Amino acid sequence: MQTKTPAQERRDKIVFGTLAVFLFLVIWYLVTKLTAFGEIFPDPVTVLANIGDKFVNPLGKVTLAGHILVSIRRVMAAFVVAAAGGIVLGVTMGWYPVVEAIFKPIIEFLRPIPPIAWIPISILWYGFSEMSKYFLIFLASFFVITISVYSGVKSVDPMLIRAARMLGAKDNQLFTTIIIPSVVPYIFSGLQVALGNSWASIVAAEMVQSNMGVGWIIITGQQSSNMVQIVTGIVCIAVVGMLLVMIMRGLENKLCAWNKQGR
Amino acid sequence: MRMEQTGKVKKDFIVCKDVMEEFPKADEGMFRVAENLNFTVKENEFLVLFGPGQCGKTSILNMIAGFDLPTSGSITVDGQEVKGPGAERGMVFQTTCLFPWLTVMGNVEYGPKVRGVGKKERRKKAQHYIDLVGLQGFENHFPVKISGGMKQRVGIARAYCNEPVVMLMDEPFGHLDAQTRYLMQEDLMKIWEREKRTVIFVTNNIEEALYLADRILVLTNCPTKVKAEYKIDLPRPRDYTDPDFLKLRKEISEVVDHTL
Ligand SMILES: Nc1ncnc2c1ncn2[C@@H]1O[C@H](COP(=O)(O)OP(=O)(O)OP(=O)(O)O)[C@@H](O)[C@H]1O
Ligand SMILES: [Mg+2]
Repeated sequence: MQTKTPAQERRDKIVFGTLAVFLFLVIWYLVTKLTAFGEIFPDPVTVLANIGDKFVNPLGKVTLAGHILVSIRRVMAAFVVAAAGGIVLGVTMGWYPVVEAIFKPIIEFLRPIPPIAWIPISILWYGFSEMSKYFLIFLASFFVITISVYSGVKSVDPMLIRAARMLGAKDNQLFTTIIIPSVVPYIFSGLQVALGNSWASIVAAEMVQSNMGVGWIIITGQQSSNMVQIVTGIVCIAVVGMLLVMIMRGLENKLCAWNKQGR
Repeated sequence: MRMEQTGKVKKDFIVCKDVMEEFPKADEGMFRVAENLNFTVKENEFLVLFGPGQCGKTSILNMIAGFDLPTSGSITVDGQEVKGPGAERGMVFQTTCLFPWLTVMGNVEYGPKVRGVGKKERRKKAQHYIDLVGLQGFENHFPVKISGGMKQRVGIARAYCNEPVVMLMDEPFGHLDAQTRYLMQEDLMKIWEREKRTVIFVTNNIEEALYLADRILVLTNCPTKVKAEYKIDLPRPRDYTDPDFLKLRKEISEVVDHTL
């Protein structure tokens, strides 16, 4: 078999990916047109037309773009705080045994709780305010990031620490020139998982209580038995979720070039 | 020979005296890596530690580097007892241990950088050593992108660039193919002739030992100690097919223990 250049591989991926999506839409269309499934599920043309329409004409208070932006803003506001806090706590936990002893059991205890289990508490505490959403996103991302960063500090190659000491690095220099760069890939993998979690959680939170956002689109679709609107919401969630992950990956590829090239 | 040329007896620069080292075993009890280990190294001498696999060669270098301390006995470098790692003792690791997030240049200039040497000066110095090991043109490559032989060259340049008084080299060419290995040995000799340092070089390859050494110490299996000592007075650059070279090769091969 002939080996392909990276450029060819990239082109193949795009070509096959586009073909697969197109094929999926065609099958979806045919199934809804040719079988009884069409009576309970809209065909893709109707859904895409509705998406286009709602970008122009408002759905509820704002257009589709408005709903998406509301949801993204909610995620970002809390995600940034959780990321900053998680990175700081993760690094200090990995570096100082005392901090580790205090926080590790607490985090290990809280981490397995699925974010949506906090929804009732968030509503009782913060009512229907934006704060209730931030609270939830924070929980959905903070523990994941903390644990990922912490395990990154723990798995720093001790031989690299030796090499740095041999070359004359002092403790604070070890931290900035060895520990931090070693941990960067772990920060990114934590951020990626956390962002996925956050996006899923905001949709859940908006479905429970809100008057805007992609979750609201779905739940009002259900309340008015509007299947086209539900599927419109679902497609938006999928596309935006995918884009968020792609942006994170792009950032990772840039900042961790030394790591990615080796894989 | 060189002693007579300089006209004065050189002092003992590194002294290992009655060194014993033990590690706790996984189950229980202690595992003794070295015992009654005594040797000295003169200033600017190229000393080769030659011993079978797993005999404790890396452990000896780790103690001189200060990563581990002897359980009993003492190690002094230039009259100072070794208490921990220090920039005056450079090491080239068996497994390269380059910083993967730094480029070739970043790795080589790391030592001067953490010791506070200004950017312009350390860049110049790093470039000098990158050129010396033949890596010009690869300054901006990350370690994952270069071959094993090139990584070892970076490791050597990184250690030299910090200008240590002692160079500890742990089988730096062990994983290289025979051809690259010969090349690296030649280059290392050229570098050492230009930039004299006290070198302790570990190997389990007898030809390599004979090609490089002023003096060879043959080590025993664990717990390791010095079994025999050979002063190598052959003229440099040495010839692997020279009858004296071959004679020594045979003689030393017969002395060394075999790995169990
Ligand atoms: N930190 C440690 N804890 C326990 N045992 C150790 C430790 N370091 C080394 N040893 C043991 O000491 C022995 C000698 O190890 P060392 O790495 O010094 O040998 P070596 O001669 O460098 O081996 P090689 O030829 O593989 O490079 C080995 O059996 C090893 O398992
Ligand atoms: Mg070894």
